[in-house]
Amino acid sequence: MKYTVGVADMKVGRFGDILVTHALGSCLGLAVYDPVAKVGGLLHAMLPLSKINKEKAEANPFMFVDTGVPELFQEVYSLGGQKMRLEVKAAGCGEPLGNNQMFKIGERNLTILKKLLWKNNVLLNSKDVGGAASRTVYFYLDTGRLVIRSNGAERDL
Amino acid sequence: MKDVAKSQIIAGTKAIPALPRAATKLFEMLQNPDADMAEIEGILRFEPGLTANILKLTNSAYFGLPNKVGSIRQALVLLGRERLVELTMVTCAGALMWKSVPGYNLSPGELWRHSIAVSLAAEGLVKVLNLPEDKRVFTAALLHDIGKLVMGDWIKGDIEKIDELTAQGTSFEVAERLVLGTDHAEIGAEILKSWAFPQELVMAVRWHHQPERADEPSTMVDIVHVANVLCLMIGIGIGIEGLRYELSSSATEKLGLKPADIEQVASSTLQWVDELGNIFV
Ligand SMILES: [Fe+2]
Ligand SMILES: [Fe+2]
Repeated sequence: MKYTVGVADMKVGRFGDILVTHALGSCLGLAVYDPVAKVGGLLHAMLPLSKINKEKAEANPFMFVDTGVPELFQEVYSLGGQKMRLEVKAAGCGEPLGNNQMFKIGERNLTILKKLLWKNNVLLNSKDVGGAASRTVYFYLDTGRLVIRSNGAERDL
Repeated sequence: MKDVAKSQIIAGTKAIPALPRAATKLFEMLQNPDADMAEIEGILRFEPGLTANILKLTNSAYFGLPNKVGSIRQALVLLGRERLVELTMVTCAGALMWKSVPGYNLSPGELWRHSIAVSLAAEGLVKVLNLPEDKRVFTAALLHDIGKLVMGDWIKGDIEKIDELTAQGTSFEVAERLVLGTDHAEIGAEILKSWAFPQELVMAVRWHHQPERADEPSTMVDIVHVANVLCLMIGIGIGIEGLRYELSSSATEKLGLKPADIEQVASSTLQWVDELGNIFV
């Protein structure tokens, strides 16, 4: 099955499933995969910290990195994923031109992710982040292959 | 060559259908505090399709009204006339902007969702910044990218040249101008001018990517500028250009924006876009 992950959304799946998320601007796309159990999940989180809007975070934890990432891992565990085996990849976190300090949402999304992973002893295997291009992520759960489509070109991550 | 393109592109704006008379009339009334309910009702009486869509919006979850509204008069009483004018604009803009915009890689509905999102974010910014309410900001935001409807066809043919420029860090609307002699903001302003919109709105559309270049400092321009970048960042209506627009520091400074304000507005915009963005489907 092919599942589309919206903005402020998360989907998990098993062998044979494809998870897709479009239009990553400054949002964080985080993919987690267990190559033995062949299960994985993809998160599309919008903002770094849930304290900015607790009510929204309660209704939808996937809006924020600090609440969405733990949920993503939990869901992958519940499908049989094991922490030691997980491959973790990040995409997105872009920013507009002009280096305006006010709009470093992408950079802050990445910083909060790294803190969370570090605290939980999880390694970030690879990332394709920053810049002003929009990204679409295709995540194939038979092999864990992750393809980034950006500016009309595709690359593996 | 570029100038030839520009005059041809501007000629293309004639193909954009005019807004219904009712919409522009109602919009004029925003400026006239003496206009009464009967007058507003009178204008919409001869627009049954428009009226039906306005009522559909009025009854959407966004407004959370406890009972179903069945008439323009009821809507006026419950929402007030500014809101009603907004809803009229939303309805008319929806009819124009629902379609796909090939050159910018926007599939059907995306330009519409983006426009609604920028309007809601603009209203949200006005609120968190405690700025004096100007109901016209909503309409300016709603129409800011309408020039893309005309520019799309031209972008398609010249995208490689534009890409070459943006790859070196040129912002997208500057690249449009370098290659085609004009950009979607200027074309949008031409369209609003032909609809006889007030000058301030025309300027807000004209300079939504370069607010510091507006003839007069205008909060409306700054708000639309920031709301637009914000919506692109959260991926609503992000097209071929990605985030290749420059965020104006003078605009964010003038508005006195803080990161928390921006995130607050971003977090509340998304839900309503999902609600309103699909209402005419
Ligand atoms: Fe624009
Ligand atoms: Fe825009």
